[in-house]
Amino acid sequence: MKAIGKFFFKLLKFAAIVYAILFAVFYWDLDGKFLYYIWEPLMIKRFDNMKRADNTMTPYSMKDPVE
Amino acid sequence: MGITLKDIKAKYRELFVVEKSPEEKNKPFDPKKAAHDFWYGKEHEERRLGDLYVGNTGLYKHREWRGVKDTMYYFNMIWLYNYAHMVSDIMKYGDGPKAIVDFTKGTLRYRWMGQTYLTVMHWFDRGLEGTRGEAMKASAWHYRAMVSETIRQFMRMFEADKKIHGGEAPEKWNKTIAHNETLSGNIFYGWRDQLDDVALEMIPYFVSVHVNNHTVLNYIDAAQSIGLPSDPCPMCQAEYGLFVQDDYPDYSPVMLTSNEACDGSVATSVLQDWFLNRPLYAMPQPMRYDDPLVQEHCQKEIEGAWKFVEEQFGIKMDWDQYVKHAQSFNKLTEFEWEKWDVAANTPYYPINGVAQALYRIYYSQDGDRPIWHETDARVKAIMEKTVKNKIECFPKTRHRAIAWSCAPLYYSNWCTWAYNCWGINCVINMDSLMFDQYLRTDTYEHALEDLSWFNEKAPMRAMAVGGHEHILSLFDYMERFNCDMVIMYDQLQCKGMQGIHGVFEDEFRKRDIHAIWIPHALPDKRTVSRAEIRDIINDYMTTVMREEPLDPSLLDFDDAMSW
Amino acid sequence: MKDLVHIFELEDLLQEANNKLVRQAKEDGKKALGYTCYFMPEVLLDLPGCFSVRLRAPRSGSPDMATYYMSNRTCMYGRCLLERALEGGFNFLDAQMATETCTVTCRFQEHLQLMDIIKNPDFFCEFTDVPFKKNENSIDHYEKQLQDHVLDKLSDRFGIDTSDEALLKAIEEHNEICRLITEIGRYRKLDEPTITGWEFSVIQLATLVCPKYLIIDMLKDIAEQLKTRKPDAKKTYRCKVVLTGSEEDDPSFIKLIEECGALVVADRHCYGSLPGREEIIVKEGERPLRAIARHYIETSECPRFMDQHIMRERKQYLADVAKEYKADGIIISQMKFCEYWSYERTIDTLILPRDFGYPVCSIEKEYVNNAVGQLRTRFQAFVESIELKNIQKEA
Repeated sequence: MKAIGKFFFKLLKFAAIVYAILFAVFYWDLDGKFLYYIWEPLMIKRFDNMKRADNTMTPYSMKDPVE
Repeated sequence: MGITLKDIKAKYRELFVVEKSPEEKNKPFDPKKAAHDFWYGKEHEERRLGDLYVGNTGLYKHREWRGVKDTMYYFNMIWLYNYAHMVSDIMKYGDGPKAIVDFTKGTLRYRWMGQTYLTVMHWFDRGLEGTRGEAMKASAWHYRAMVSETIRQFMRMFEADKKIHGGEAPEKWNKTIAHNETLSGNIFYGWRDQLDDVALEMIPYFVSVHVNNHTVLNYIDAAQSIGLPSDPCPMCQAEYGLFVQDDYPDYSPVMLTSNEACDGSVATSVLQDWFLNRPLYAMPQPMRYDDPLVQEHCQKEIEGAWKFVEEQFGIKMDWDQYVKHAQSFNKLTEFEWEKWDVAANTPYYPINGVAQALYRIYYSQDGDRPIWHETDARVKAIMEKTVKNKIECFPKTRHRAIAWSCAPLYYSNWCTWAYNCWGINCVINMDSLMFDQYLRTDTYEHALEDLSWFNEKAPMRAMAVGGHEHILSLFDYMERFNCDMVIMYDQLQCKGMQGIHGVFEDEFRKRDIHAIWIPHALPDKRTVSRAEIRDIINDYMTTVMREEPLDPSLLDFDDAMSW
Repeated sequence: MKDLVHIFELEDLLQEANNKLVRQAKEDGKKALGYTCYFMPEVLLDLPGCFSVRLRAPRSGSPDMATYYMSNRTCMYGRCLLERALEGGFNFLDAQMATETCTVTCRFQEHLQLMDIIKNPDFFCEFTDVPFKKNENSIDHYEKQLQDHVLDKLSDRFGIDTSDEALLKAIEEHNEICRLITEIGRYRKLDEPTITGWEFSVIQLATLVCPKYLIIDMLKDIAEQLKTRKPDAKKTYRCKVVLTGSEEDDPSFIKLIEECGALVVADRHCYGSLPGREEIIVKEGERPLRAIARHYIETSECPRFMDQHIMRERKQYLADVAKEYKADGIIISQMKFCEYWSYERTIDTLILPRDFGYPVCSIEKEYVNNAVGQLRTRFQAFVESIELKNIQKEA
């Protein structure tokens, strides 16, 4: 019983720490700062360097009427 | 050159430390007031929200402290709740654990996804800045619904997308209807049990601009790179720029398009058709839509669209499905009317201008989906509470404004700023008033008649085409919603609105109406920046209205690089 | 070549909307009906008792008042028309038969409804809805619209006879003009054309802006003269081109192209004759109005049409015109701020050289053409590039 209580206490403590960390991330906008300064530049680099099909080479044949 | 302690300190100050104004610094510390501010949040006039920004990024040194209750609500029920759902919804709407793979592939393949998705919470922040209590809650639920529906749509696109499946058509490719974002989802109700319909540009272009307007600039530039001049509507440019950049998911064997809302939309179809190079059905709406003679023509075009889907997918339209969804959608319409009633006649309306505008256009364009009903139930409870308890959700309202014409997508949250800075409460906007049509389902003829009316009253076109009396109905709506000010969106590349500019000027003068013209270029912030938009409003409020700002820190700040 | 008979007289008639012949027709007791778009069938406006005038704003300067009303970010054609109306230049009109076929001309016509611009107490402006597709549904719709918004209005307001017999007579007269224009235009197909693009544009424009019964004899004389007209001994042009694009009612623009060495042999643009001067055929058992509706829907090559196969066939049509008229290249001209032609020009510029092998010169211009120097350079370069290509081909 005591062990279960201890486990729950530990779990609660862990949850409280995670909660506090998440609150710190929220309050100081750490998510935004991470995305703005780290994630987005990485993504921009990736997409700017991505090989893309030249869609102006798409054929332009006649089509049957669609009624 | 290493990084010095000085550099770190400077960066720390830049990113986290809110500089106090000299007056603030010189004030003696008042513990009672500090405790009050901590518990209840600062009074509107003392908030100094503009001091919270990090340079020109739009990021916060710290998020706003709204008092214990509202801050914890924001943290738990908005921030945490939505981040959690941004993960769980992927699983919910996707194909089980495979959904994570599709999601990851999509994120790494498409710019509008990879650069935008995770920045969603900042979209919430911008729209909900300064809101408190029920207004914060109701508006946030609107945002939540839009995010959820966005996830549903992009997950469907990714599951059915050939491009992220090695060029092979996944099973759902043959079960998904692609259509132009200006074509309403209600056309496809008859197949909702067997197929799914996803607007092609809704997420890659429309939603992504609101969340993170950096991505769309690539598409506009791409559109012009193959020879298009820069003056056509930039929405249309971006819509086909996606194709030039090869940044569209290939998730359907067909495409349905329409002439909504303007010449530019019609013309965009030419290029989209080329790049998509698959069977395409155009479902144009008549321009002179008030004319009783045009209705039959419109109805036949809708029936043509149905026949096209039946032939292409080999699945008959299910009338019972149509009835089911149309009736369900009517419930959303009924609640919308209730909302308008409260917004027009009381100060207890709990939804801010940006949430009202975006939610309305999103759900009515998208059509009947469960998330809209869940959200409306939540918002209804909040609205009933505010009305019953006479809670003024925007107590600092000095002016009730109506926004007319199409809004700057990169600054749809201007109305949040305008309320915080000047007490301008944007009660209603033009695009919220479109699709104002109940769908009868008692007979096939009635259903078709109402469906055609519904589509004729689509965004922009409801007011902008079919006769000047539609666009000039502003003055009737102004009266109906008890507004004393007009925010006149001046979309510089919208020929329809530019073409009637002077008549509005004349009418405003004749009727002695305070109207502030806001120039913008829809998704493109480079033409008119957000700061310029604020300057125009600031100038009008100080020089014409001779008013003092509620929050002077919001008068002048740089958010040029903000999402 | 020897001057074409009547050509300077016709050119004079293009100098103002309310020209000598318009005034004469008004004196004859006929009603002047304005319109701007091919989708308003001129044949209906030429019923006995009235005549059509396709609106232009020749000799326009800076449309300042219209720019106040419509801003400087709209098509200048629409603005110049409004300016001309505000100046009183369209006061001779008895009605404006309007279409909402492109945004800015629609707004111009709405201004005529909204503001008391046309100083004529009986004046009215009536809109017709025009479909976006070429199918039976569209023809049905268009026919109903023309009946209600054109014929019934003309009958109610002016007592015009709109019976089938009257329509058949109007079709016959219209077809005669079409036959003459087609005959005159055919000389552009010759290896060495005996009519210039400028001359043809003057003639074609005159048929759009003058009462037809007052110019038909001049057209006959021109057609007669062309039968024997000889080309210059020494070629005065370096290549032949098709001019395509949006609204174009300025013969001096065509003159500018021709001065650069490119003879304009075909005119596929608003106010041009391709399409526009095909005869209306009434099928057996068909109501004349039905035939008219079908004709205008089927012949139009407007980029407003959205059917997939029609969007694609437009490019083929243009290539066919170029082949038929033995053109060496195509000039695609778009009125600045015209959204339809912004996109159509973009795709034409990419597809026509790639799929049909025609060199393309793609330009954007204003209604009041102030950029003559720049355009001259573009056209000269285009002519040179065609010549170079021809030399390479021969080599």
